[in-house]
Amino acid sequence: MESLFANLALGFGVALSIQNLLYCLLGVLLGTLIGVLPGIGPVATIAMLLPVTFTLNPTSALIMLAGIYYGAQYGGSTTAILVNIPGESSSVVTCLDGYQMARQGRAGPALGIAAIGSFFAGCVATVIIALFAPPLAEVALKFGPAEYFSLMVLGLIAATVLAHGSLIKAIAMVLLGLLLGLVGTDVNSGVARFSFGVSELSDGIGFVSVAMGVFGFAEIIANLEQKEKREIFTKKVSNLLPSLQDFKDSWASILRGTALGSFLGILPGGGALLASFAAYTLEKKVSKNSANFGKGAIQGVAAPESANNAGAQTSFIPLLTLGIPSNPVMALMIGAMMIQGIAPGPQVMTERPQLFWGMIASMWVGNLMLVILNLPLIGMWIKLLMVPYRILYPSILVFCCIGVYSISNSPFDVMQTAAFGVVGYIFVKLECEPAPLILGFILGPLMEENLRRAMLLSRGDALVFFQRPISLTMLVIAGILLAIVLAPAVRKKREEAFVEA
Amino acid sequence: MKITNGKDFWAGLMFVAFGVAFMLVSRNYAMGTSVRMGPAYFPTMLGGLLAVLGGVVLFRAFVTRTQNPLRVFPFVLWRVIAGLALGVFAYYTQPSHDANIVWEIGHALVAGLSVGLIFAAFGERSLWVILFSVVIFGYVLKPLGLVAAVVLLVVISAWGGHEFKWKEVTILSVSLAIFAVLAFVKGLGLPMNVWPSLWE
Repeated sequence: MESLFANLALGFGVALSIQNLLYCLLGVLLGTLIGVLPGIGPVATIAMLLPVTFTLNPTSALIMLAGIYYGAQYGGSTTAILVNIPGESSSVVTCLDGYQMARQGRAGPALGIAAIGSFFAGCVATVIIALFAPPLAEVALKFGPAEYFSLMVLGLIAATVLAHGSLIKAIAMVLLGLLLGLVGTDVNSGVARFSFGVSELSDGIGFVSVAMGVFGFAEIIANLEQKEKREIFTKKVSNLLPSLQDFKDSWASILRGTALGSFLGILPGGGALLASFAAYTLEKKVSKNSANFGKGAIQGVAAPESANNAGAQTSFIPLLTLGIPSNPVMALMIGAMMIQGIAPGPQVMTERPQLFWGMIASMWVGNLMLVILNLPLIGMWIKLLMVPYRILYPSILVFCCIGVYSISNSPFDVMQTAAFGVVGYIFVKLECEPAPLILGFILGPLMEENLRRAMLLSRGDALVFFQRPISLTMLVIAGILLAIVLAPAVRKKREEAFVEA
Repeated sequence: MKITNGKDFWAGLMFVAFGVAFMLVSRNYAMGTSVRMGPAYFPTMLGGLLAVLGGVVLFRAFVTRTQNPLRVFPFVLWRVIAGLALGVFAYYTQPSHDANIVWEIGHALVAGLSVGLIFAAFGERSLWVILFSVVIFGYVLKPLGLVAAVVLLVVISAWGGHEFKWKEVTILSVSLAIFAVLAFVKGLGLPMNVWPSLWE
């Protein structure tokens, strides 16, 4: 307990330096901005900014990128409530009741409770990370290659189970991602694999290109295919503070949402999106007010908004302690760490305590900034919402292109990104989720490395994965997850749940 | 046998093709043993698994009740073939570093046409216009400088949307160009020419 306070003090010392405060502020502002704007998500933004982080020191870079992610959760709710378009995929459910509240002239309280719920959830999640990350990292330090391999299998399986759409396709996308991740020079033999003599490919396919092509460009193209129609409630946003009755109605929802979101965020494959859906469903079941859901119930705003923020933050736990990303945003964070020369994993906490605790403390600081900034700045965000998409997307493209070009100052990366734009478009059309692909892509080389080491240590005996208890446990959990999802009854439910969503 | 789900059909084919392709290319590398895995071991394994799963998805396309037309997106085959042919041609006629400027521009046009055709094969205008604007940006940034590249990117990509208003696009492209120069070249110090390299 004492060391916890010492660590947190160290973290706040780092997070409260002028420079890091500025990057944190920049991150949360950018995050809110892209959260507010529909049609561009945190994945594309972080991918866009990755090249810029080359020039920063690692701690500031990660503080800023983390700020974008949880800032986006805040911003997304504003759009959901005022325009009935989820600014962020995780605020889809906030549309249901938030927009109805806005139509009843209660946009202010809806925005207020969303911000307050998010802030509360953010505080709790920060404490949870500080409490649970160190013991988990200690366990992870004892992991051998076999355990790591099984852990990655479990992580990838869990990610596919929680992805929507077809399970087989999601697993196939993971495999494709793993394969694409193997392109480039093999560390053991020095052979340039699948590079076809292209010298740029011998360093591997650029992570930024894949992420930006598949998420960013494909998203823009898909958005352009449909006509835009928006109805914005702007005039009636006054009196942001919810009434006492509102607080009485929603405090339990905020607590439940925070608890559920924190838990789901830790799971591999979890994160903000899953958390908000689950919280809304739970709230609808347990609330006394369930008949009112979908007609402007404040609980229907408070619970998912708290949950998505909690989930966004606790999904940093597997990243920081195990070095395993649980969703595409975390995969990008790993990319950012690797660019900075930091190998993600449990040793980060012991070797770079300033980075680790600084980042955690910055999350709390960032959440405070969001709640202070967001309420008075809402007028500005609303103005931004009036900007039509035909002005927005060329601007987004300009930032993407300059970012990609600057990675190696050559047209090659730009071409590569465009190519992945085509691939991403095909994925969208064929209903193949790209999220598992990006997780596979980042884990490909790691998985091969650990498989090789494990097999070398066991002298080629594949049973090693089943003989070591931790490894076996993880494989069994992965197997159970698969079996559950493949069971006909659950499969039907799962499909229904995603259709309803 | 009738294909009921076109999306699964194409997705399955795609996975099988990728799986088989990775396995085939892996044959050029050493396989190794399970104790000491060569560079081909893991990709061959994954490729095989991917091909099998692709086969399952493909099979499902025939038996599922989900209905999707086979024509998932507009697709023009001759454009792909022509684009690939031009691409191969461009690859083998790459100008040397000291080639004259006419030859270089000619080659760039052929290469550009090849890429454009491949993108345009997918029919959807928003797709190929956007991606083409991106590729143009990548190629003109070094010779023509950041300002021209940003203006071209904005104008071409704006043309891929629903509405195109000259006045709006002009203002947007100029302001984005100014912002890009200030933020990226002056602010972050990225090494990029602002103006065409011939001028400097």
